[in-house]
Amino acid sequence: MPEYRSHTRTESRPSTELQLEGAWRVVVLNDPVNLMSYVVMVFRKVLGFDETKARKHMLEVHEQGRSVVWTGVRETAEAHVFSLQQWHLTAVLEPDETR
Amino acid sequence: MKRVEVKLSLPVVAPLLDVIRELSFELEKILAAPQALHDLDQEFRGAWIGELLEGQNEDLRALLALFDGDFFAEGVVAFDENNAEPIVRACTAFRLHLRERRLKTLSDEALETGDIDMEGLDEPVRKAFMCYLFLATVQELIIQHLDSSIIGS
Repeated sequence: MPEYRSHTRTESRPSTELQLEGAWRVVVLNDPVNLMSYVVMVFRKVLGFDETKARKHMLEVHEQGRSVVWTGVRETAEAHVFSLQQWHLTAVLEPDETR
Repeated sequence: MKRVEVKLSLPVVAPLLDVIRELSFELEKILAAPQALHDLDQEFRGAWIGELLEGQNEDLRALLALFDGDFFAEGVVAFDENNAEPIVRACTAFRLHLRERRLKTLSDEALETGDIDMEGLDEPVRKAFMCYLFLATVQELIIQHLDSSIIGS
């Protein structure tokens, strides 16, 4: 787990309360630089995907510009986004409004 | 421990190291891939970016460490499961930054396919593009030979 989890997150909450409840999506966006083999390796490493699933999501990113790679509680979603960003993938958090 | 040694051509690679060193200075205080962090509060965002930056700098140092005195004596670099992961990430950071700062005149399609007339490029762009290709080759090499070490660590 990255060290950033130890930072206090509640002290200077802005006036607009951030939505923390509910399900959140981890979305990876396409970029023109990263090699396909690299993205597959990162998905396997960070998200624990097998080769087939990693390739499927990599192709989704490549062809559709984005792929939802994980959905669940906010804290875990943040940890995944952070790890993906450590590998320089463009990863964002989105509330899952389908639930 | 699995270890891969690669003999590089000094006359080809040495000039590219100047570019890589310049990039590492430029990346000391900025992320290679700026991230959208709208859903984080300001304080948390600062800590988040700070940790990404710290990790990025450690990775860049690992790559630069490959090109020490031994490299200039023998032209050999070595990858193993200890340095593979940071070096692969550093290659990506440098490539992202090259595209952003040195290769803007080239289309994304051209960068992706590598279908570029090298003779038609200005010297700084040509050197940057060669560096971009060199770093991709290093990445491919590591992923091909040390993928299981990286995934397993």
